[in-house]
Amino acid sequence: MSRLVQLTRRTSADPGYESDIERGMDFSAVFAETIGQNPDFELEIPEWDAPPADLREAAWRALHEVADPEFPISLPDLGLVYDVEAEHSTVRVTVTFTASACPCIEFIKWDIRERLLEEPGIEDVIIEVTWDPPWTTERITERGRTALRKAGVSI
Amino acid sequence: MSLVRTDSFKSADELSNPVREALAATLLSLADNKRILGMRYGEWILGAPTLESGIACSAMAQDEWGHGRILYATLKDFGLDPGVLEHDRPAEEYLSSELLDSAVEEWPDLLALNLLFDAALSVQVEALTNSNYEPIHFKTRKLLEEERFHFEHGRGWALRLSETATGREALEAAFRKAMGPSLRWFGRSEAGFGQLLQAAGVSAGTADSLRQVWLDRVVPVLAEAGLEELATEFEANAELDWSDWDADRRRGGSGGPDAETLARIRGDKNRSMLMD
Repeated sequence: MSRLVQLTRRTSADPGYESDIERGMDFSAVFAETIGQNPDFELEIPEWDAPPADLREAAWRALHEVADPEFPISLPDLGLVYDVEAEHSTVRVTVTFTASACPCIEFIKWDIRERLLEEPGIEDVIIEVTWDPPWTTERITERGRTALRKAGVSI
Repeated sequence: MSLVRTDSFKSADELSNPVREALAATLLSLADNKRILGMRYGEWILGAPTLESGIACSAMAQDEWGHGRILYATLKDFGLDPGVLEHDRPAEEYLSSELLDSAVEEWPDLLALNLLFDAALSVQVEALTNSNYEPIHFKTRKLLEEERFHFEHGRGWALRLSETATGREALEAAFRKAMGPSLRWFGRSEAGFGQLLQAAGVSAGTADSLRQVWLDRVVPVLAEAGLEELATEFEANAELDWSDWDADRRRGGSGGPDAETLARIRGDKNRSMLMD
């Protein structure tokens, strides 16, 4: 994701240091994730009470199924989706990225397009990239924060 | 710097020819310098004095290449092809500083690029961000946000090295070499691209005013690091040597990135793998 998300680490030289293993943290889930077996690393998709009112809302909901390539957090929960518009069968999504040289930009754009084109009624997807306002961790939603914590990232 | 933009330009087509050319050259110079600066940071990922600064160099290298890509892309508005700019130009067409022509041998020299020259580029980017040329506004704030960390890294290391006499001397020698080229990079005081861009409203400062913004930013750090003498020597009124200044390429001397640098920034070895 981004180096801007501060990973807190202490070293064995710190007074009162206890390793994560000593504190009883179970790393088996992390290892399992690397072979695609960890439920904690699966993206949690929100449940919606009613069907989407229109195509724009359907697109917005679908974006909750597009995950960051590194962590089980959706693009809207990471705060990367700035705008969604729909006109006839065309959806225009305005997104930003966590860093100007984010190496996943093309993957993420691909994932957005693929998922939106699965949505009934969407035939065209236009992705606009903006860098303004700049993304910060403040943009991560509560649900996103919970997901990141579950994956072992402290923010 | 005025943020009031009464007569904004929505595209380069709305600019007069001389202003359009000067702005394109400024953007290209920024992109070229950032691309090569990124490589210079990258050369220290393994071999910096501490593991942490090696990692910081990795992050700064990544940032600069991201900034380079964003800035090359801005030149589409001027009818230029970013793919050609990035991968298909000879060394003599690069608008990059002489400071970046070849790999830096010593850590204090890298810090000079980090604290002094990188900051000069940021001052110019700020001036474009606060200008009447709209297409740049939505691209550069993120870049400036990332640059804050570069400056802090340079400052932290300057202070760290200044704690010993040997460190301070090495720092002073390296900074002395980079001060002139960094100050000159903003261009001549008299009629030149800085004045032209400022008068047209597409840059928020003249060469002299941007030089002053830069001095106001770096001089306090030099003072903190015990290099007051160097700071005083280069205050705004100091005479700069323009004898080998090439205003078109915004550099001293007629050289350019050396062969290895050029091959790597253009991606020569990987040319066949470029797919778009």
